[in-house]
Parts: sequence; C-alpha cells; structure tokens
Amino acid sequence: MSLRDLLSPFYVWQRAFEKPYTTKRPTLDRPGAPAYRGFHINITETCVGCGSCHTICQNHAIDMVAVDEYVGRDGDSGLRPRFDYGRCCWCGLCVDICTAGSLRMSNEYAWISEDPGDFHFTAGIDDKPWQENALGYRRAEGYHLYPPKRITMPMLPVEESVNTFDEVVRGYDKEQAKKEADRCVECGICVATCPAHMDVPDYIHSIRDGDYEKGLQLMYRTNPFPATCGRICTRRCESVCPVGILGEPVAIRWLKRFIVDQVDKKDYPRILNEPIGESDFKVAIIGAGPGGLSAAYYLRQQGHAVTVYESRASAGGMLRYGVPSYRLPDVELDKDIEHILAIGVDIKYDTEIGRDISFETLLEDNDAIFMSTGLSVPSSMRIHGEDHPRVLSGLQVLADVASGRDPGIGKKIAVIGGGNVAMDAARVSRRLGADVTLLYRRRISDMPADDEEIDESQAEGVVIVQQAIPVEVLDADGTERVCIKWGEAKMVDDPKGGRPRPVLQEDRMHTETYDCIISAIGQSSDLGYLSSEVQDQLAIEWGRFKPVEYQHTMMEKVFVGGDFANRTADAISAIEDGHHAARGINRFLNPDAFIKAEMQDE
Amino acid sequence: MNTIDEILDYAIDQEQQAADFYEEVAKNAETASMKKILLDFSEEEKHHKKILQAVKTGEHELTPQQEILDLKIADYLVEVEVSKNISYQDALIIAMKRERAAYELYTDIAARVPEGHLREVLDGLAREEEKHKLFFETEYDERILTDN
Amino acid sequence: MTSLNRHTLTGHSAALDFSQPEPVDLSSGKYVKLWQGPQHPGITGNMSLELTLEGDTIIGCKTHVGYLHRGFEKLMERRTFIQNFTVVCRIAVPEPTFNEYLYSHAVEELSGIEIPDRAVWLRTLNLELMRLASFLMWIGGQSGAFGMYTVPNWTLSHRDFVLDLFEEMTGARIYHMYIVPGGVRAGLPEGFEKRARDVMDSTEKMLGQVERVMFNNAVTKARSRGLGIIDPEMIDPYGIVGPNARACGVARDLRKDEPYLAYDQLDFDIITGHDCDAYGRAWQRLQETRQSIDLIRQCLDRMPVDGPFQADMPNVLHWKVPAGETYVKAECTRGEYGYYMVTDGSEYVRRVHVRGPSYTHAIAVMERLAVGCNIADIAGLMVSLHTYPPEIER
Repeated sequence: MSLRDLLSPFYVWQRAFEKPYTTKRPTLDRPGAPAYRGFHINITETCVGCGSCHTICQNHAIDMVAVDEYVGRDGDSGLRPRFDYGRCCWCGLCVDICTAGSLRMSNEYAWISEDPGDFHFTAGIDDKPWQENALGYRRAEGYHLYPPKRITMPMLPVEESVNTFDEVVRGYDKEQAKKEADRCVECGICVATCPAHMDVPDYIHSIRDGDYEKGLQLMYRTNPFPATCGRICTRRCESVCPVGILGEPVAIRWLKRFIVDQVDKKDYPRILNEPIGESDFKVAIIGAGPGGLSAAYYLRQQGHAVTVYESRASAGGMLRYGVPSYRLPDVELDKDIEHILAIGVDIKYDTEIGRDISFETLLEDNDAIFMSTGLSVPSSMRIHGEDHPRVLSGLQVLADVASGRDPGIGKKIAVIGGGNVAMDAARVSRRLGADVTLLYRRRISDMPADDEEIDESQAEGVVIVQQAIPVEVLDADGTERVCIKWGEAKMVDDPKGGRPRPVLQEDRMHTETYDCIISAIGQSSDLGYLSSEVQDQLAIEWGRFKPVEYQHTMMEKVFVGGDFANRTADAISAIEDGHHAARGINRFLNPDAFIKAEMQDE
Repeated sequence: MNTIDEILDYAIDQEQQAADFYEEVAKNAETASMKKILLDFSEEEKHHKKILQAVKTGEHELTPQQEILDLKIADYLVEVEVSKNISYQDALIIAMKRERAAYELYTDIAARVPEGHLREVLDGLAREEEKHKLFFETEYDERILTDN
Repeated sequence: MTSLNRHTLTGHSAALDFSQPEPVDLSSGKYVKLWQGPQHPGITGNMSLELTLEGDTIIGCKTHVGYLHRGFEKLMERRTFIQNFTVVCRIAVPEPTFNEYLYSHAVEELSGIEIPDRAVWLRTLNLELMRLASFLMWIGGQSGAFGMYTVPNWTLSHRDFVLDLFEEMTGARIYHMYIVPGGVRAGLPEGFEKRARDVMDSTEKMLGQVERVMFNNAVTKARSRGLGIIDPEMIDPYGIVGPNARACGVARDLRKDEPYLAYDQLDFDIITGHDCDAYGRAWQRLQETRQSIDLIRQCLDRMPVDGPFQADMPNVLHWKVPAGETYVKAECTRGEYGYYMVTDGSEYVRRVHVRGPSYTHAIAVMERLAVGCNIADIAGLMVSLHTYPPEIER
C-alpha cells in the first residue's frame, strides 16, 4: 500500500470549493428540451381525423372520438384523437405518422391532477395550458413514415399524344401499382366522399395482396363502371385523401384502373358471378348512360326484367359520345357495358322515347321507370351572330369524332368555355391538326375543368386566353371562316362575397378570324319527350329534377338520376344515382323484402 | 314630369308594370317550375316598388353617389322573345335587359336636367335600377355561365 | 467452440470445473443460506443471489432471475415493424439505444434498406454517447458498491449532462427512440456540437478526479484487487465478452473486429488490460470511458452536417418485411449485443432473440466467481461484471 493511495482520496475535498453539479432548489422549473416529447398538441382545425395516429399507436392509447364541431365536414371524419396517458409511452409515432401535420408534442412534462380521468383528454379540444406551446417535438423536415410522393404515371409523350387518339395515360405496371397502393393509410375518408361510397381502402389493399379478383368484386359492389371510372372519374376521393395534405394524394383512380387492367374480360362472369334473384316485375330505363346502366345492373340482380331504351346506336351516353377515346378508349368502356348486359339486361338501341314509344306507353307497360337522359342540349351564348354556320357546339364535335365522322373544324379554331367539354373539344381539335385557342371569361384557376386536363391541353399546345369575354360573332371573308369579337375582362370582387366576377373592359376589344368557333359553355337537359303535364307532376326545378328519397320523383312509378338530377354532373354521381334508384325501386316494388334485406346488411 | 313626386310616381308605376309583365308571362308559361321562377321575378319587382314608395315617404334614401358594379353582361346579349316555353336563361336575359333599359332612361333624363335635387333623385333611381340589373346579372353569371 | 473442445479434451483445469458443489447440510448449523435481492438490492439489479455461507465466506451461489421478465421477444411478435422500435429500448434501461440500433439494423438488412451516410454518423454518435453514459453510471455503481458515495455523485451528474444531450438530440432522456428502421428521426439541433464538446471537456476533467479519488485509493485497491479473478481460460467457454474479456488481455472488440456504422472511419485501438480482477476491470472501463469521449469528439469532427438522415421508406402502416433471418451485433459497454431476427414475409416479425451480454456474465460467471468471496464483496463483484438484469430476461 503506497502513501499516494492513502492521500490521493482526500482530493475529494477540492470539489467542495467548486460549483456544485446539482441545482440549488429542486423545485426550480426546468423546461424540457426544445424538441422534448412531452404532452400532445393537436391543431384540430388542420386535423382531418384520418386515425393514422390511432393505427400506429402500439399502446392503444389513442381513441378517435367524434367532435361535434367537425362532424359532417367534407373530407373530415369528424373524429379527433383522444389520448389516454395511462397508456401512452410518448414515443411520438403518432406525430410522425400524422398525415395532416396537425399533431405535435409540447415540451411540457409535468402535470398533476387528483382526478385520474383528467389524464384521458382530447388534445386541442379539452383546454390544456400547453396547447399553444411553441416548443416540443415536431416531425423533422425530410422524415416520413410513408412515401409522400406519388408514383409517376407513365404517359404518352406530348409529341406523340397530340397526333393520336391512343390513350394518353398508359397505366401502372404491377410493381408501380403495388408501391402506389402502399401509400394508402386506410382512413376511409375517401369512402365517405365518393358519391358511390366505393370501398377504396379495401380494393387498394387487394392490390397490395396481389388479389385483383377480390379487388374487382369489391368495386362491382358499388360501381359497375370500374374501367371507366378508373380513367375519367372526377375523383373527389383524391381531393380529400389525407396523404395529399402534405404530399400527393394516393392515385386512387389509377389504382382502380390498374385492377381492371389486370383482369381479362372473359373471366368476369366467373369472378363476379352475380346471383340473379326472382321477380315478375318489369322495369324500363330511359338512357343507356352511366346512370341508366348502373340502375340496370343492380335491378337485374334482383331478377326484374330490365329494358334500357337508348336513342343512339350504342350504349354509354356521354362516356361514349362526350369523352374522347384518348381518355377513355371504347374497348374499355365496352368492357364495363358488356358485363352489365351479360347478366341479362335487355337494351333497345335507336329507340327514342317520345318519338318511337311515348312516355305514357312506357309508364303503362312497366312497374317502374328510371330516367337518366342527361344533359344533351348545348347551352347557347346568346350573343349576336351566334347562329353563324361556322359556330359549332362542343358536344357535336365530340359526338362526330366518337362516331368516326369528320366534324370539319378547319385548321385554326377557337374554343369557348372552361369546362371539361371545352378541354375535350380543344384537345380533340389538336389531334385533328388544328391550332387551338381557348377563350375563357375568368381565370384558369376558376375553370371547372379538371386541373390535369388543363395542364395536359396546354402541354399539347392549346393556347388558353383567360379573362376573355366573347361579345359578338361576325362574318368573315368567305363562308368557311368566322370572326369573333371578344373583350378583356377585369376580375372584380363581388361585394356580396362569392368568387370574383369578370367585368368586360369595353376599351380592350379584340377581333380574330378562325375557321370555326366551338362553343362549349355548358349544356342542359332535353325534356322534350315529357309532356308539360308530366313535367309538372315530376316537379322539375331549375331545369333539373329534384328527387325525393331514393331518387323517387313525385310521380309514383318514376325514378330519376344522373346529370339532370344532380348538381355535380359527373359519371360517378350518375352511377350512384342509378345504384340508389335501384334500391329505391326495389323498396317501391317490394317493400317487405327490401326492409328484410336492409336489416340483413346491417 | 317636373316635380320629384311625379318622377317617383312614374318610377313606382314602372316597377308595378314590370311585376305585371312577369305575372303575365308566368300565366302563359308551360311548366310549373318556370311559372314559379317568373312569379319570383314579379315578387322581386314588387320589392323594388316598395323601396321606391319608402323613398317617397322619406323612410328610405336614394344613394346617387354609390358605385354599383356593372358586369356588362346584358349589354352584349341578343334580344329574346317571350314565349310560353321560355327558358330560365332567356327569362334572365329579359329581366337584365329591362333593368338596363330603365337605368338608361333615368341616366338620360338626369343628363338633361340642371344640377340640383331633381337630378340627384334621377341619379339615385338610375343607381337603383343598376342594382337590380346586378342582381340578375349575378344570377346569370352563377347559374348560366357555369362552364364559361 | 474450438477452445471449449480444447479445454475439455486436454484437461481438468480448475477454471473449467463445471461440477456442481456438494449439497450442504443446513441442519448442521455450520452453514447459512442468504438471499441477496431481489427487492432492490441496490446495485445488483432486480435479480437475486441465493448464497450459501460458511462464516463470512460464500461457498455456493445460485442466481435467480425472472423478476423483470416482460416478454419483450414475444411482445414483438404481435407488433408491427415500426411499433417494435418503441418497445426494444426497454430491454436495457441504462443503455437502450443498442437495442434500437440492432433492431433497426436487422429490419433494414432483411428489407434491403440502405441508410444514408448522415444517419450512419448520427447513429454512431448516438451509440457512443450511450456507451459514455452507461460507463459513467457504472463507475458510480462500482464506487458505491465499495462504500464510496462521492464518486457516484460526480459521475451520475455527468451522466445527466449526457442525458441532457440525448434530450436535445432525441427528445427524451432515457428511452430515446431515436434510431428508427430507415435511419434516425432528426438531425442535430442547433448548437448541439458546442454543448456536446463542453460536456466532453467537463467529463474528461471529472474522470481525472475520479482516477485520483477512486483508483488511487488504498481502500478500493484493498477491496477489489484479487476479487473475482477471471481465468483467461474461462473467456471462451463462458462466453465472456467486452471489457470483462479485454481486461484479461483478450483483444476482442466488434467495433474493430467487424466494424459497423462509421467505426471503420474512426481512429482508435482496442484497449486491453492484464489484471483479471475487479480492479483490472474497473481500470479497463475507465480507459474505455475516455476512449468514448475521444470517439464522440471524432464523430462531431467528421460527421456530415446536412443531407438526408432517413432512407426512402415504405408506408410503415402495412410494412411487410421479406422472409429471412439475420443475426446482427454491436459492441455495447458490456460486450457483444446481438439480435437474431426471423421474418416470414408478413407484417409481423416471426421471432426475435436478443443476446444480451449480461446473460452469461450475471449467471454462469457470477455463480462461479462468487464462490470463495467474502459476503461483503458480493455486491462489488456483481457490479464489476457490469450486468443489466433486464437483458437477461427479454
């Protein structure tokens, strides 16, 4: 034992004169680090209640509870996370997965209460002192628990697409689809938003599992037009997809299309194998568009004798005669329609109600009627010179092209309007080799057309002139040309609210000569086949039907749906109208069986 | 038409005539829904009439200086015929054009009278008609020019 | 294994005598049975030693574990791959990040995820800070076990300063949950480097004081010299790893032998000792604590300051890891820490086995070394093996 070893330990005394390591008073508040994982904060206004926090929580510490304030909001489940601090381990995975970025943690970590129930609280709803805390754990920039970016859809290059009516969107391959399907957080907000309430999370799940047949079955439960909707749906689901809040929404539409693309048409009967019920009722359907055929599909499954009356030579309505084939090839539309007809739906082509058969006869001969004749009359601009022969309607041009006729548009044309019909007419005209200028009275951001359509048409060389109000059509030199006079518009805020309104500036007028002008400013319904007495009985408002429940009208046997009965005027709403009307007709024809079936469903 | 009261009486009468006009068109309209729309128009005119009556009794004041938004939609549309199967679009066009004509009438007269109270009243009436026109133009912009 | 064969073949070295002691006759009144633990025996942790004493001398030691069993390995089979990373840290309370790293690394290896360079460095820094914090706690424990309570105050204070760094870096002091499959959860906060260097400086200074007070100490030496001598022959058969082995002169360190993360880019040598007793192990750990400080400084010097810290990840909500199996390992303060993982292609792990170095050190080695000890030294001996009971019973 050395002397050093005896003396050295006394060195401890030196520390007695140094600053102590400990704090003087133990009660002194010590705030958590700036990124401390403390008590939860939820910005409930931003939160959409997707429930991903609930799903990822391994402790089951998060319940989703309804908060009155948010119930019924579009794109919002109305639920907000409720935390149980008896279970929470403050791992913060809920913050990491939060699709809206609304969930975070404060750096507060001390909370004393005598009531154990207090520690069960809805962040952001129950008043807590740390809700406004600026410090605490936030998900770091560049850190993701799911891929925020969409898998890029392969498309025809613009140089090619502008010269062909081949489909522009090429579709995902299996690998791409699986990756895109992987991005879904399975919240189901899309289901609530989809007019047809398609079971989106489950059919996306079937893609991850590679079980496309199951995916197809799931889709047909609510929508007999998956090939069509997988291409041209207005996809409100994607606009509410919470993955799109901080990143890009899941490509729900393309995934739907992917499933259909994987299944051969000849396998449909085996996969879907719809049971057909027994019934003696006869149902007539006017119009073989998406609404009418959807109704036919679901009515036929009940065993009713279903006859669809179509004035044109082919079924599909606007899907065939309005939507150009580069967006929806005929073969894909036929895939949907042929299956509907295959289960025993009878269809009479080239049969116009009011001309070939009167509405009254139809009413007499059938137990119920579903009408879905859409919006087939192009709206008129009501400006001077509009009846010039070189002013064509967008609907007519599209129908001509769809039927293989030359619409005779010429080489330099103007399209008027900012809706999807205008975009279609413009892009079709580009494919026919014309230089296209599109005049729209408001701004591009105000256009009702799909954003993708606007982008793609611009990429294909359509020149969009915004804030251009057409005021007059004038004769040009020669009968093959036409002049349009338009004025620049200034956007003025509406003092009563609403979107800004365009005001013509009369000192800024332009006149331009074109080979033709395609007017595509909207369309309305043609109710000519209904006598005014019938129209009165149907209680039509603003040129549209206003059905009571289950698409039933004020007339006993008559149900309506589709564009002329709803405000949204898109295929998916028409499909849902048809499905809904089919249930309504079943209820009307056979109330007892209907109630029994409904109860079984629940 | 010299006194202010006389002018107001004329204006009130004009509103009544407009209300009568829509009622007449409604009577001939083929469908119930269109009838209802036209009767709504007629009600709107009666409402205008009430405002002018209130001006006459001094309960309501005209606002000759107020700037009213002019969407200039009516200015460039074609004249349409009144018919029994008139569409909503055409009914709106008729309404807009009538309000526009009234507005122009008062503006014209106002330009011919010397500056003073009388002119202010006429200007005020012009503003009223402009407001009515804006009402119908807004409706047209919202409901008819949807895709345009 | 080869060495085990050699020993069993060549002879009957006393160190490798695995025979059980003769049962004693307690009724003779010559012996006493004494339980140390498990009710918070202070430094042995939540396990207990069933000691047989003859006078002051231990003639038999049987270890009893299971008091902390929470079934982590089984829990993991019922949780998704992302959820598990919040569970694994609890397997070793004073040193949780090795579990986070190894779990994440195993998952990454099975799913073919390559983590970005910055994540590699952040993980290295995190693990080395963890080693430092763990060593500091251990020094306090060893000193306390020999009855000197000044040193624990110093080292645990400095451990707390390291925990402050963790709190800043990861958002939590103990269960950091920072290393996540795919990378780490965040970069370094602003000013972290400066504060980390300050803590390193003051810790280094403090270690000098510890050396003077605890190591150049007649009492420490009297109590630890010759205590719990590990015969180098025991190393392989008993599976002794880490400082316990290195103190006996066996240069075995995974950071050097099979470099992982950024260790191949760091400049250091394996430290070895030659005294196989408790003092030698303590000295070994003091040197390794200093080495950790040096490695942390190197990390701070060399790590990239920007760039991604997370690989592109699938959606973790329904993450399926391809079927496979792997064994990954890293050098924690007690030696080789390992994760054996089997996956079956589903959203859940099929089986995880955690290899904690404490398993051998606290059971087999302890039972052997305890025999012949004085009862007063048993706590000091236990600590000198540096064991964490939770990792025995995963």
